[in-house]
Amino acid sequence: MSRYRTDDIIYALATPWGSAALAIIRISGSGSHALLAPYFSKSEALRSAKNATLLHGYLCDQEGRRIDEVVLAVNTKGHGYTLEEAVEITCHGSLSVITELLDLLSSIGMRSAEPGEFTFRAFLSGRIDLTQAEAVHELVEAQSPVARAHALARLDGGLKEKLNGMKNTLLALLAPVEVQLDYSEDELDEFVFPDELLDSLLDDLGRLLASYAIGTLYKSGARIVLAGATNVGKSSLFNLLLKEERSIVSPVRGTTRDYIEADLLLEGIPIRLYDTAGLRESGDEIEREGIRRSEHLIGGADLVIHLLDSTEEDVDRAFDGRTIVVYNKADLRRPPEGVLAISAATGEGIGDLLSEVARRLKRGVEGVDESRIVIQSKRQADALLAAEAALKGVKEDLQAALPLDIVAVGLNEALHHLGLITGEVTPNDILESIFSNFCVGK
Amino acid sequence: MDYRALVVGGGHAGIEAGLALSRIGFKTLLITQNLDAIGRLSCNPAIGGLSKGNIVREVDALGGEMAHLIDRSMIQFRILNRKRGPAVQAPRAQADKYTYARLAKEILEGQANLEIFMDTVVDLIIERNRIVGVKTKRCHEISAEVVVLTTGTFMEGRIFIGEYDAPEGRLEEPAAIGLGTALRKKGFPVGRLKTGTPARVRKSSVDLDRLEVQEGDEEPMSFSFDYDGVDRPSVPCHITWTNETTHRIITENIHRSPLYGGKIVGQGPRYCPSIEDKVVRFPDRDRHQIFIEPEGLGTEELYLNGISSSLPEDVQSAFIHTIEGLEKAQIMRPGYAVEYDYIDPQALFPSLESKLVENLFIAGQTNGTSGYEEAACQGLIAGINAAQKLKGEKPLILGRNEAYTGVLIDDLVTLGTEEPYRMFTSRAEYRLNLRHDNADQRLTQKGYDVGLRTEEHLQRLREKVSRIESVKDLLRIHRYREKSAFDALKMPEVTIEELAESIPELGAFPPSIRYQVELDVKYDGYIKRQERQINRFERFETMTIPPDLDYDTLEGLSTEARQKLKHIRPLSVGQATRISGMRSSDAAILIIHLQRRSGDA
Repeated sequence: MSRYRTDDIIYALATPWGSAALAIIRISGSGSHALLAPYFSKSEALRSAKNATLLHGYLCDQEGRRIDEVVLAVNTKGHGYTLEEAVEITCHGSLSVITELLDLLSSIGMRSAEPGEFTFRAFLSGRIDLTQAEAVHELVEAQSPVARAHALARLDGGLKEKLNGMKNTLLALLAPVEVQLDYSEDELDEFVFPDELLDSLLDDLGRLLASYAIGTLYKSGARIVLAGATNVGKSSLFNLLLKEERSIVSPVRGTTRDYIEADLLLEGIPIRLYDTAGLRESGDEIEREGIRRSEHLIGGADLVIHLLDSTEEDVDRAFDGRTIVVYNKADLRRPPEGVLAISAATGEGIGDLLSEVARRLKRGVEGVDESRIVIQSKRQADALLAAEAALKGVKEDLQAALPLDIVAVGLNEALHHLGLITGEVTPNDILESIFSNFCVGK
Repeated sequence: MDYRALVVGGGHAGIEAGLALSRIGFKTLLITQNLDAIGRLSCNPAIGGLSKGNIVREVDALGGEMAHLIDRSMIQFRILNRKRGPAVQAPRAQADKYTYARLAKEILEGQANLEIFMDTVVDLIIERNRIVGVKTKRCHEISAEVVVLTTGTFMEGRIFIGEYDAPEGRLEEPAAIGLGTALRKKGFPVGRLKTGTPARVRKSSVDLDRLEVQEGDEEPMSFSFDYDGVDRPSVPCHITWTNETTHRIITENIHRSPLYGGKIVGQGPRYCPSIEDKVVRFPDRDRHQIFIEPEGLGTEELYLNGISSSLPEDVQSAFIHTIEGLEKAQIMRPGYAVEYDYIDPQALFPSLESKLVENLFIAGQTNGTSGYEEAACQGLIAGINAAQKLKGEKPLILGRNEAYTGVLIDDLVTLGTEEPYRMFTSRAEYRLNLRHDNADQRLTQKGYDVGLRTEEHLQRLREKVSRIESVKDLLRIHRYREKSAFDALKMPEVTIEELAESIPELGAFPPSIRYQVELDVKYDGYIKRQERQINRFERFETMTIPPDLDYDTLEGLSTEARQKLKHIRPLSVGQATRISGMRSSDAAILIIHLQRRSGDA
């Protein structure tokens, strides 16, 4: 049985998940100001902020790169919704910004709140009148993802089956280990750890986590960057894809000095498309900054469409696996055989490009049955990741020939994390499994 | 009042309860059916083993007697699983049964404040939901302020050997008839459980020379923390196996078993099945192991560990004679099953005080457990808490992270049991911290606080801790394999004995100290990881629930949770979450209610 903790820092997106002008992310918990401060452009102002202060600035990722321009609404202990030390981040409502900010909060040690957890803390601190039946009802509802019985009922049948299958596999791994802990060596048959079972469980976990990737692909979308030298037609393609003239298209090199972004939907996948400054050496300070930003965007993209100009000589360049190389201006000059060619001016080849983009985005989540997009919540994915990490630790412990009571620590941790999704596993369950499967000792 | 305290039963629970109460200073009477059966080892002639050995040392650290008794009666000692991990190493000793029981009686007789009386308790005297005394078979009415009930397998006990059955608690020892029935009438939730014991055979008729020998350790350690070692004889045990002929005979006669014929209704322990159970449940196995253990030095009786049976005597005899080494074995006592009354332990608070009747404490097999060690630790806790009650102080409740004893009692009162409950390593989530070697560090202070340990014990503990630190310091300043000896010891293949060869100063410390340092250092990372889990766990353990909380006033609880909470009346949110059928939302509602309540206060 998992319970709300109340001594850590939680965060959650308070506005709906989707593109909008603005989004709000809530953070609550003792120490949250100090934890966030290093990533805020005005660190000191945040650390020393009085209650009910608004701070304008930038939030940056761990490498110091700006994620977004934000406004922080600061509450000190004893104020605000939860009466805890808290911050509300108002940021731009793009999915990519939200994703990056949530990732940042998670990576610096905050915990994604369970639904209703802010309300729960508000309850605990006496902020909300408990006698209100409505509030109690809300609380019960809010707890439901934690109440595994409810969560389990809500899971689609396939996932439930799959998770239970994995839990049973894990129990099948743990039971023979635990039975070794319950009896002395001379009462037991020789024990060989079922490595294949562990490996197959790790495979299963990996596949399920991949299904999270496809789940998030459809839910959170992908970031695609149009890149290439100046004047290869990136903005023309951008406009064509959006079917509207958003970028300033002109034949002058370096017209797009900063990046422009827009959302579109491709085969059901929400896509954030970036038109970037063309990459070239430039003496212009502003343009150099634009190019620097382009490079940063390319670094964080899920997919890069690198445009080449069919009318120019080929440049030998190495591209990484995320890159689709496309020859533009195919209407002006015939590109080499076998390459992806388009004309942003005439629209020729765009269909092929789009299906290639879709194919590439779904790559890596291949083999996952799309009709059963299963893991959808970050909480579930986090639990699975934690279980996977624990089991990888078990593999290392086994390789180091550590004793079984030590190995059992990792197995039990993995079981605990799976239990967070499927319902708790108690020591009693393990004993049941032992009793029904082993003929043992004295 | 005739006495401040009264203990019913002279088994392993009764002994600890009686000694604890009288040692803490209360005038106590121990009533038993048979003075000659005090401290008897009814089943196997051994104390300790995995998790059970840990319990014995916990009893010792708190100020109980079991460790002293086995230290003075052992005839073989072993640390089990010495080559395995820290949580599964445990001491186990073969006991001379007769010495053990004689010592137990001697200790009771030598105890100030403690009287011993032979009679059978047949009823409890209860006034306004509070116990005030007992009635005996010979019509005595004895009054006391607190009573500890430890009836073992004797309450309405009945033994079975094939078609034969008799109202006995042990073979040829009459059951305590009437008490179980009286308790049922008074509304106690009484049920039936079953356990069994194997045949004893005569040593001179067994061909031990052909069998595998199992020797004890050369240097026995003591169970008790009160001294550094023991000087006792060491005799071997032997190992043999059943075979397909044995199994065929059992299968052919299974219909004559009272277990399969429906005569026995009580649930037996699945972990300690009779041989007929093993043969039926595991038909694919072509053999089962038997440990042949001496019952003592001055006796020819040998205990056949692994083939407990309630088949008819002619069948027992036939299948025993198919076993290698036992072809000509003379059976001196047959194996038998015993069925007895137990009281659902969910009707107890974690202090082991009854929820139905104030000042009545219940311990041992009466609570559905099995095993001498399980009985002893409950007897000790019941005795301590009866004394705390007399003093008007808070009961001693050990956490699941503090002691196997705590795990055992929490399991019993929270989950109840439907089969004889035996302790297992796997029942304890925090077993890396519940090692046998650190039981004194975990519990001596608590024993002192309740009045069973003295300043000398605390001083001895302080010296031990400082010696452990000295050894660790030595390891830090010496080098081994191009790193500090301390870090070297963390490597799986490096042992402290190996280090002792190159660091002669280590020789000045006794093996028990070196042993503990080795485990501490080697598994430090994992122990710390466990401690973090414990921190999470403790938050909910420290959220207390008043025992009189009216669950009907809590809106939103599920019906199942409400019923169970009313039945179990947990004392902490942690305990509540372990009740089967509780959902997280139920726990949340409970937490909110408690927070609000404390906010109002």
